[in-house]
Amino acid sequence: MIDNPYAPVKTEVLGICEESSTIKTVTLKPETPLSFKAGQFMEMTVPGLGEAPFTPSSSPHEKQKLEISIMKAGQITGKIHDLKKGDTVGLRGPYGNEYPLSDYEGKDVLLVGGGVGLAPLRSLFLALVHDVKKYKSITFCCGSRTPSDIIYKESVLDKWQKIDKKVNFRITVDKKDKDWKGKEGLVTTTLDNLKIDLKNSVAVVCGPPIMMKFSTFKLIEIGYKEEQIYLSMEKNMSCGFGKCGHCRLGNFYVCKDGPVFRYDKISNIHEIWD
Amino acid sequence: MNTYFINRPNLDRLAKSLSKTYRVYIPVKSEDKISYRRVRDEGFEDVVVGEIRAVQTIKSFYFPARTKVSDYFSEATPEKKSRPIAIIGAKSCDLASLKIMDYVYMQDPLKDPLYVSRREEGLIISSDCTLYGGSCFCVALGIMPYPSEDFDINLSEVASGYVIEVGSEKGEKIIKEYFKLFQSANLYTEKKAENRKKLKESLLEHVKESKIPKKDSIQEGFKKKFDSRLWEETIKTCVECGACNMICPACHCFILKDQDVGKGFERLRLWDSCLLLSFARVAGGANPRKLLAERLRNRFDKKFNFFPDVIGKFGCTGCGRCTEACPGKIDIREVLSKL
Repeated sequence: MIDNPYAPVKTEVLGICEESSTIKTVTLKPETPLSFKAGQFMEMTVPGLGEAPFTPSSSPHEKQKLEISIMKAGQITGKIHDLKKGDTVGLRGPYGNEYPLSDYEGKDVLLVGGGVGLAPLRSLFLALVHDVKKYKSITFCCGSRTPSDIIYKESVLDKWQKIDKKVNFRITVDKKDKDWKGKEGLVTTTLDNLKIDLKNSVAVVCGPPIMMKFSTFKLIEIGYKEEQIYLSMEKNMSCGFGKCGHCRLGNFYVCKDGPVFRYDKISNIHEIWD
Repeated sequence: MNTYFINRPNLDRLAKSLSKTYRVYIPVKSEDKISYRRVRDEGFEDVVVGEIRAVQTIKSFYFPARTKVSDYFSEATPEKKSRPIAIIGAKSCDLASLKIMDYVYMQDPLKDPLYVSRREEGLIISSDCTLYGGSCFCVALGIMPYPSEDFDINLSEVASGYVIEVGSEKGEKIIKEYFKLFQSANLYTEKKAENRKKLKESLLEHVKESKIPKKDSIQEGFKKKFDSRLWEETIKTCVECGACNMICPACHCFILKDQDVGKGFERLRLWDSCLLLSFARVAGGANPRKLLAERLRNRFDKKFNFFPDVIGKFGCTGCGRCTEACPGKIDIREVLSKL
């Protein structure tokens, strides 16, 4: 970490991959390696325009470069979508806490992701797979709006499914097209009839607020306890280290006390799903 | 601890002497308003060390409204090395606000280097209030109108000068260095205690009219009124200008803004206001506080619920500046009285 916490590290764009019509994955190489753990986030600077928070989607074991998957949603993300190989951006971080992997050891790990919420879960999934023997099983439930909105398509639909026999995928789309042979329905429908030991399981949820809300409620309904559920919260993190005040959630700052929260720690805060 | 006395001409001399090593600011009265002015060689005629707090807060000396925080991609902090800041005449409410600012900016995981250096190198010569303003209510929050901690030197106005209390090693050093300017305070210490008691009592009487709940029940009162109509009723006259945030000594929120300056890029840290719609909004459009009533409630939540939980102190010092600044005439005491 450098002396000035507001200064971004000069970073080269190594490549851009179009994941869907609204989501691109940017491969970045910071001048000084910024080592992160799965779940932590970075502030990415578009020079002269400003910065926005993103959780890397690549494996935390890859030290020289990192990937960030970004949905076009506003001014800065729009500009990021226009970036080209060789462009210069900035990165600050990592900030916040990581998924507590040691608490997941020996358990059935359930990942529930929707849309661009798959980004942090991809990083987590790759970290879990890196030490796959430590976990009892990994079940990845992915929801997307339509088949063309599925990101990391090759991995999700093929490569990752064959990565280890402990790994299971449940994939659904809200609305299918004529070529889609898979399941249609909201991501919550993938949580029916889970073939795992709920008592010895943890669930990690990441996605748009409404998807997080209903997935969490569904998990509770099927028997998960609040303390078995982990949420990646998205608020307006600006400084990244608990000073600027924007991301307050109850008595926490999402940037320094999160972004990963165990549900029981925040379930009584009224603003969590907004 | 030894107490000393300094007369007015000598305080003037002290301020001028200090201005050779510090940027010295002192309260000056003009058109009935008190504000800090930089002390240079010529001095000021209308210095007011007593009376009430200045219009501006002292947070602006350590956490200016607009600060360049980065010339990227350089790792260095961009602040030019300048003399440390000495504030003369800071009041008790302002010192109380530094507890909040210090908590925010000097705590880990990452400290703010610009704030830390300004605070650590700075000098605070505080002073007792000798009057109270119409909107003052510090005593309702357990803050006295005279400082008891967090100063290097404190001045209590008596007769034709000030009784001095030393509050730190830095303060002690100054007394030693300029010992010729000071005399014994023995004659005046009783008068100081008497003045303090008198002001405290009259301020307590003044605050009584506002019907603010006892300080230990304010947080509970806030929680009970969380879902009430109080917030909607209160915002009827709010114009979302953010003046209450800007003028508050304990509001610490900021926004980072970047700009292209031709030969490179710079990042600015600007004061921000939680009353503005965009404050908590994320790029995707989600906003936990879409309604103005929710944003006003959030301001009270932060001050009377969050900070009591997190550091055991209110994020409000009872200075009353927000009441004076509000074009919608929203009186913080009135809101508190309804908790």
